[in-house]
Amino acid sequence: MTALAGRLRAQHLAEAAFRLRELGIGVALMVAIAFFSIRATNFLTAGNWQDIAKDVAIVVVVAIGETMVILTRNIDLSVGSIVGLSAFVCADTLAKHPGLPLVLAALLAIAVGFGLGLVNGLLVVVARIPAIIATLATLAIYRGISFQVTNGQAISAFQLPDRFLNLASTQPLGLPTLAWFALVVALVGAAILRWAPWGRDFYAIGSNPGAARLAGIPAGRRVVTAFALCGALAGLGGFMWAARFPNVDAVAATDFELDVITAAVIGGVNVFGGSGSVLGVVLGAVLVATIQDGFTLLQLSEFWKMFFNGFAIVVAVALDALVTQRLQEALRRRRRAEVLEQRYAEAGT
Amino acid sequence: MRLVGRLLVRWETLLVIAIVGVGIWSVTLSPFFLVRANLLDLLTPYVFIGLMAFGLTFVVIAGEIDISVASTLAVSVVTFAQLFANGVNVWLAALVGLVVATALGLVNGLLVGILNLPSLAITLGTLAAYQGLAFVILSGEGVAEFPTRYTDLGGGYVWGNQLPIALIVLLVFALVLGVVLHATRFGRYLFAIGSNSEAARLSGIPVARVRVTIFMLSGLMAGIAGVVYVGSFGSARADAAQGSLLDVVTAVVLGGVNIFGGAGSLLGVLLALVLVAELRNGMQLANLGGDTQNIVIGVLLLAAIVAGNVIRGIEAHGFPRLELRRSRREVAAGQRAEATTFPNSPKGR
Amino acid sequence: MHRKRLLVLFGLVAAAVLAVGLAAGGSSAKTTKKQAGYKIFVLPKLIGVNVFTENGKGAKEAAKELGDSVTYNGPTEASAAKQVPFINAAVRQGYNAIIISANDPNAVAPALKRAAQRGVKVISYDGDVAKDARTIFVSPPSAQAIGAFQVEWIGAQTGYKGEIAILSATPTAANQNTWIKFMKATLKKPKYKNLKLVKVAYGNDNPTDSAKETQSLLQAYPNLKGIISPTTVGISSAAQVLQQENKCKTVALTGLGLPDQMRKYVKQGCAKKFGLWNERDFGYLAAYVAHNVLAGKLSGKLGQTFKAGRLGNRTVVTSDGNSPVVVLGDPLVFTPQNIDKYHF
Repeated sequence: MTALAGRLRAQHLAEAAFRLRELGIGVALMVAIAFFSIRATNFLTAGNWQDIAKDVAIVVVVAIGETMVILTRNIDLSVGSIVGLSAFVCADTLAKHPGLPLVLAALLAIAVGFGLGLVNGLLVVVARIPAIIATLATLAIYRGISFQVTNGQAISAFQLPDRFLNLASTQPLGLPTLAWFALVVALVGAAILRWAPWGRDFYAIGSNPGAARLAGIPAGRRVVTAFALCGALAGLGGFMWAARFPNVDAVAATDFELDVITAAVIGGVNVFGGSGSVLGVVLGAVLVATIQDGFTLLQLSEFWKMFFNGFAIVVAVALDALVTQRLQEALRRRRRAEVLEQRYAEAGT
Repeated sequence: MRLVGRLLVRWETLLVIAIVGVGIWSVTLSPFFLVRANLLDLLTPYVFIGLMAFGLTFVVIAGEIDISVASTLAVSVVTFAQLFANGVNVWLAALVGLVVATALGLVNGLLVGILNLPSLAITLGTLAAYQGLAFVILSGEGVAEFPTRYTDLGGGYVWGNQLPIALIVLLVFALVLGVVLHATRFGRYLFAIGSNSEAARLSGIPVARVRVTIFMLSGLMAGIAGVVYVGSFGSARADAAQGSLLDVVTAVVLGGVNIFGGAGSLLGVLLALVLVAELRNGMQLANLGGDTQNIVIGVLLLAAIVAGNVIRGIEAHGFPRLELRRSRREVAAGQRAEATTFPNSPKGR
Repeated sequence: MHRKRLLVLFGLVAAAVLAVGLAAGGSSAKTTKKQAGYKIFVLPKLIGVNVFTENGKGAKEAAKELGDSVTYNGPTEASAAKQVPFINAAVRQGYNAIIISANDPNAVAPALKRAAQRGVKVISYDGDVAKDARTIFVSPPSAQAIGAFQVEWIGAQTGYKGEIAILSATPTAANQNTWIKFMKATLKKPKYKNLKLVKVAYGNDNPTDSAKETQSLLQAYPNLKGIISPTTVGISSAAQVLQQENKCKTVALTGLGLPDQMRKYVKQGCAKKFGLWNERDFGYLAAYVAHNVLAGKLSGKLGQTFKAGRLGNRTVVTSDGNSPVVVLGDPLVFTPQNIDKYHF
């Protein structure tokens, strides 16, 4: 009975510490907002926050997919190239068939991304190429394909239907449409990771791949699913990208993977796998965008902005590790206490 | 004979075979390939990448990663440039640049080695922070007029104006670092830590100190790469080496260094560099587009890992024997035969 | 055991390298004698971007008229270090001339000088290189004109008064910095004395960054009346942001933009006056310059003239720093009235 209670308490402690981590980012966000609203003009205006929301929306959508991959102790460096390629395919198709329903265009982008992500997954699972290398290679390969497909040309805004471009400028209920997309994806993503058994498997595989296999989890299939989902979300990100930046060419979304991984890392996703949440990723992305925006409004030079960005990542990671270490120590102490308790109980009988 | 057999299955041998193969292909493409000046000059634009790759090799073998090397090079280069532009003697300025580069590596080393933070996340942060710092130190167009004695280190030629000094620099470092990695106790520590850091610590290896040292070395090599860069290109700007990170990591991975640590050789990295330079040169002689070249390099990377997996499979299990799969009836018959022949065997129970 | 194997392998490799090196001929590549025509290599800042693709097409068109052959190739990102291998390979393959738009005027200079030593002629365009590394620089309009025109265009849209900002590309881009220098010089003239430059922002030729920078400019300077963006990525991103924020009526926009990219925004009232030049003509002219340099008709001396095909006669003039320049002409000005006439 004590052992079980102890384990439950440990679980609560873990969840508490985890909530603590998100609370940590939340607090950091509050601090940043407070700081910038005092020091910078126009920080608290609705217009400013709508801008931030639009910037963050695409990062959030792709970062949620990236999180699923990182949870399984892998990584996908090719998301930038996937976003670029699916953005072009989608924009090109809409330019040639302006009557195409937007839903179909989105599905096309998602399908392209899904296919590319699937290839990544197969390379990692079937060909047993370490994810960092496989996606480094596909980063170059997919980008090269973009160059071939675009053939040095670009799609221009005037070729795209207005209702598509309006996705980036309308604000139903005060929130930009793109942000609504991100919200829906966040809710669905969070639901998958929390309630879908195969979603929860990602955590298991990342924490302890061997144990997960022994427990009967088809790790290979799950990892491929994670990569495919990541690709699909990157495809959706491409659709959103084309709406937001309608002049799409071969170099669209270059280096975007850095923004995505930064959002995930600051959002508490552990690069060794096994822990992370959608809420954390969203907060992380918002925090990064807020800091960048705040520095700009402070009219700080871009270069200091870049420096502080990097600095923020280091601080976030250090904080995260600190919290995890404290948590592990607390769990260890608790476990030791439980064991002692049990021994006294047994000795007593 | 056994030596030759074991040699043939080594990664480095594969690389040599590939280099010879690509060489033959290049000869068929252009008679200009086999000109001595061309061959000797093949590596010159890649020497700075090779030097960074050598430093990164030490880090990866010990089980970590450092993606901030390109940014470290940038800071080192602009520090040197600013000092020189303000009247400091060029050699002194270069020395300060190297010291700065090592210091930046030290920061990484302390965060990863002492505070035990994950190196991918940390160097992701320092990548941005250092790049921002580089722009803060010297934004804009940079410094260009350097004394010839200095630029000769990266851009000069000897032996009838054909042998690039940069190549000599590369080979000297390859030799020195190769000896350090493969023939000293320090080098052995790296392999031990990369294979099993816990076991290494328990056997008395000063893991933390070693980790700090390799990051300092990585920083120093980035600084030296910066010296060669300024010499080769005659320009010191904050965006020096932007975009080179991918090539550096490719050289390391293609060189047979295990991305998870514990295995690899400096010779492999050198050969991989030669292979990539030669392949790009060949593709350029064939007038293949820059994007096609990237696709080829990406595919090469994937093929190399798969080849490595196959080799490891052969080393472990020998060449696969062609065995016709037994039909189900045969298997069943065999089982029945066993059961009837040994009725009292322990298996029966 | 492990170490000995490595040493043996290293020795074998060293021996092989030495053997190949000694066996290789010591002759340098002779330039191909004039067969059908000259071989020209066009090396843009990067490939895959339509501005440069158009340059390449123009160069190929000129080559066809002249009986030369043009190869268009380059790196997939704007890095000078990545341009150098292309220069070296072009020399080895026996190209007679290289037309280059450089990412860093100095970083490519050593390689270009080595090319010149081997008899290859170097013409720079768009992104100039160090002056002693090329024969002639081909400029669309002159740098001074590019700067002055953009100031005039923003002035015309803002009634010559108010706060303005510049949205540039990367802080290291030489041509951007030159144009901005001339913009600042133009702003000192009495006609523009009521225009105040409040900030130079950098969008890094990246649509995300450019959009963010535009948003920040709008937030940080609520009285901003105009934005000048001398980069096609910058101006189209700024137009997008202005349109999405419904600020086209209050904030004027000008700069260098592609008519195709800007058409939608122009029709909606954003960026009522901006300009560029015909990128295809630009490449066409550069190829003609290269051909004439190779034929010995042009050596970079001031006042030399030549006929650039369908573009007519051109003269070698000076640019800042007394270096030889051939100019395409005044910029094309795009307005809502004429934007449909242009398709690039």
